[in-house]
Amino acid sequence: MRCPGCGVDNIPGVDACENCGTDLAGLDLPEARGGFGARLLNDRLSDLELSQPVLATPSTPVAEAISAMRERRCGCALVLDDGELVGIFNERHVLTRVLRRHRDPAATPISEVMSPDPLRLSIDDPPAFAVHCMVAYGFRHLPVLDGDELKGYVSVRNILEYIDKRHAG
Amino acid sequence: MPSRISRILGSVRIADLPRRRVCRVAPATTLGEVYRRLEEEESVAVLVEEDGVLVGIFTERDVLDRTALEADPATPVGELMTRDDLVTLDAGQPITDAIAIMTARRIRHIPLVDADGKEDGMIGGRDVLRLIADYYPETLLNLPPRLHQRLTRPEGG
Repeated sequence: MRCPGCGVDNIPGVDACENCGTDLAGLDLPEARGGFGARLLNDRLSDLELSQPVLATPSTPVAEAISAMRERRCGCALVLDDGELVGIFNERHVLTRVLRRHRDPAATPISEVMSPDPLRLSIDDPPAFAVHCMVAYGFRHLPVLDGDELKGYVSVRNILEYIDKRHAG
Repeated sequence: MPSRISRILGSVRIADLPRRRVCRVAPATTLGEVYRRLEEEESVAVLVEEDGVLVGIFTERDVLDRTALEADPATPVGELMTRDDLVTLDAGQPITDAIAIMTARRIRHIPLVDADGKEDGMIGGRDVLRLIADYYPETLLNLPPRLHQRLTRPEGG
């Protein structure tokens, strides 16, 4: 059992950390129903406040998407072709795919610099799925759909806000 | 009795998290050079320092907001960095302080400064998620394979 105070691995069941004395009683007990771990699996993304993306079409100039991301204080643009989600463009792509490649933002269609066919989650998926995709695969923004309908996206910030609310409650 | 998540978060200090590698530059460093460092070092922000003292931060978000459409890459980063309302934390503070500031101020990366005012690294939102994943591995990492299958492509897509 790892001590949350110092990180030392203790023998399961001990009451206090052998290294720093932090109280460990109860930490290794199965969590009560409704605990945070259960909520991560039992809550739904519909319980979170999702962010609303900037929407673009494949031919939208990158400069236009960047301006909209500024105005809306938004971390990503989702690219729809005929209503279907076909790509995602985020802050990192501005740096690595536009500026570092010396592309002119006004003359580059977003389809040339977006990530095609992004991972997407369902509004009925648990927050655990989003955390998993962010931690294990490094995704920052995950589009959330209800069937075919785009409901928004979930970001690291949305998850932090969710944790902030839940750990207090 | 406080919930387990509150106890975990409340008892973990920022200093207990694994440190991320920090990208440090001088105020005179050009934006072009900052872009190169951010890409090559896979970093999301540079800490700007003068004589070993932290004077500002410049993040990917700042690239989007302030420089992507208008700034000459030869501009020194010192002219466009966040300097005046720079938020810092001490590594001895609990992780809950970092979460509270990140959500209230809408910032994701916070430089750490020790009691003597010396720069001591940086914490980001993803570090907090990693901590959560660390304490709930059974919840987060043993997810059914269906998740990965379903995520690769929408059905019929």
